Amino acid sequence: MNHLVWRLHRNQVYLAVAALAALTVILLITGITMADDYRTALANCAATQSCGDLGGVLFRGDGAIMDLVDFTLVVPLLFGLFWGAPLLAKEFEDGTHNLAWTQGVSRWRWIRANIGWSLLAAAVWGAALAALVSWWRYPENALNSRFDAFDVQGIVPVAYALFAVALGIAVGSVIRRVLPSLAVTLAIFVALRVAIGVYLRPHYMAPITKVFPLLGHDSGPSGAWMLSQGLLGPTGKSLGPGIDFSQFPAACQTAPPGGKGLLSQCLASHGFRQTFTYQPASRFWAFQGIEATIFVVLAAALVGFAVWWVLGRDA
Amino acid sequence: MTAPSVETSGLGKQYGQLWALQDCSLHVPPGRVTALLGPNGAGKTTLLRLLVGLAAPSAGSAQVLGRPPDGSEEFLADIGYLAQDVPLYRRLSAADHIGLGAHLNKRWDAEGARDRLSRLHVPTDRPVATLSGGQRAQVALGLALAKQPGLLLLDEPVAALDPLARREFLLALSEAVTDGGVSVILSSHLVHDLERVCDHVILMSASRVQLCADIDDVLASHRMLLGPRRSLDAVEPGLTVISATQTQRQTRLLVRTDGPVLDPLWEQAEVGLEDVILAYMGNESAGIVPVSAERTHRHLEVAP
Repeated sequence: MNHLVWRLHRNQVYLAVAALAALTVILLITGITMADDYRTALANCAATQSCGDLGGVLFRGDGAIMDLVDFTLVVPLLFGLFWGAPLLAKEFEDGTHNLAWTQGVSRWRWIRANIGWSLLAAAVWGAALAALVSWWRYPENALNSRFDAFDVQGIVPVAYALFAVALGIAVGSVIRRVLPSLAVTLAIFVALRVAIGVYLRPHYMAPITKVFPLLGHDSGPSGAWMLSQGLLGPTGKSLGPGIDFSQFPAACQTAPPGGKGLLSQCLASHGFRQTFTYQPASRFWAFQGIEATIFVVLAAALVGFAVWWVLGRDA
Repeated sequence: MTAPSVETSGLGKQYGQLWALQDCSLHVPPGRVTALLGPNGAGKTTLLRLLVGLAAPSAGSAQVLGRPPDGSEEFLADIGYLAQDVPLYRRLSAADHIGLGAHLNKRWDAEGARDRLSRLHVPTDRPVATLSGGQRAQVALGLALAKQPGLLLLDEPVAALDPLARREFLLALSEAVTDGGVSVILSSHLVHDLERVCDHVILMSASRVQLCADIDDVLASHRMLLGPRRSLDAVEPGLTVISATQTQRQTRLLVRTDGPVLDPLWEQAEVGLEDVILAYMGNESAGIVPVSAERTHRHLEVAP
């Protein structure tokens, strides 16, 4: 059975090996350079005690390579579309399941080998990609929030890849045609990823809200995932979320045009403060664990469904 | 092998409201090459899929080579099946398929399969998608035979082939049968191709089995009768009228009988398999009557 799976899908494996190798080369070269730049810059600014804005300045010119790394976000989806969805749908569409299911191998062994190897491949490629990106982002993670690139590093890419492949398999086993299965897999995957990322993820743990002085805390606690920001009046009354100038002291309203900095100084001198609502940097791995668990559980349910559906039905 | 090739009782398959196969009770002795005949949509494919375990019955039960078709590996080991439209992995070559079969089957005659295809000049190194329909059918037959099955079930294997390819396919099949002693069930809606190859016939029509018997018995027990016009009520007992054609002067009957026809007014003629098949197909209400079982004749609607 393993031989059949390999023989039918080895070209996809070769392609995936080549793509991963190419990405590895690019990220290794740029990653080593960036790590060097980072260490040099750190040493220099430490000597002059001017490291404050390093995160905003360093790597400003590396837009293309940053985009490439952000693009790895869609790789799990590609696994779902090109490994998961056609896995069973192609057999049903071509009728070759009739050939495979009347050889000397039971349907259970057939589906176990097909799904097992696909999930293993998804996990291996997902893990390789996640490890590569996590390593590459080391200076970025140190300078800015790791939550900025939550979806492409750590352990969640493995969970996304498993989920995408399981989703493709389940959809393909029901629809039994390749193209419609691709479309439905794409729609469900994107919808679910966005819904969970936008509506569920911020609430995995209750966010922290803290009061900070207006000056010297532009971006809130270091490395945190900022959810919202507010302004507190001199009496401790919350103003906002929109800025209503009529609530500002007259002195600040007539302040000479000079940008946000001057306004902030004026407000601060009148006793205004700001609040940040955020998930602290220390929760990164807890959030990774929660999100990965959600997608692995979904994947397991989809695989169970696909097996039940295929074994319990006529060819 | 002493178990019957196929034994079914009350086998049925329902899709939604529709019965694709109904009340099918069959007994096919071992060693037969059986033609499974019937018009399109008669339930032939459904019957074959139930017999190989690709579909589960809605009613009744089946035994194939003495085992229920449950998809177990013991059952599958003795079954060769060629599905309708000859499914093969399009990008793989015949040699690839033969190699795969070796991994998927405990018993596998790769050498025999390669020999058979090279004798037929079927290229084994090209993707099967580039082969002709006849060559693909030969590849699929070769794969089914390489399993060295006890029973080979073929679903319309020649339907899409041109006459020459059809002849070559059936020739290859008869050779394999002679060599290996395999039982075969071969479905088709074409009668005359199969008459030379088969010695047993199952006739289906409108999701029911009309007839299941050795072809020799079928031919011996059916007669064409020609005589002066008369009412069908006047036909002697012991004859079952399968089809009747009345003209102004003549009555022409195809009847089933166990003994000789005694009425001297009838002019008698031997029948060919095709005559019998067409008579049954034209008369869906005839129902399955095991040859030699039923004695009373039926009244049939008669074409003017």
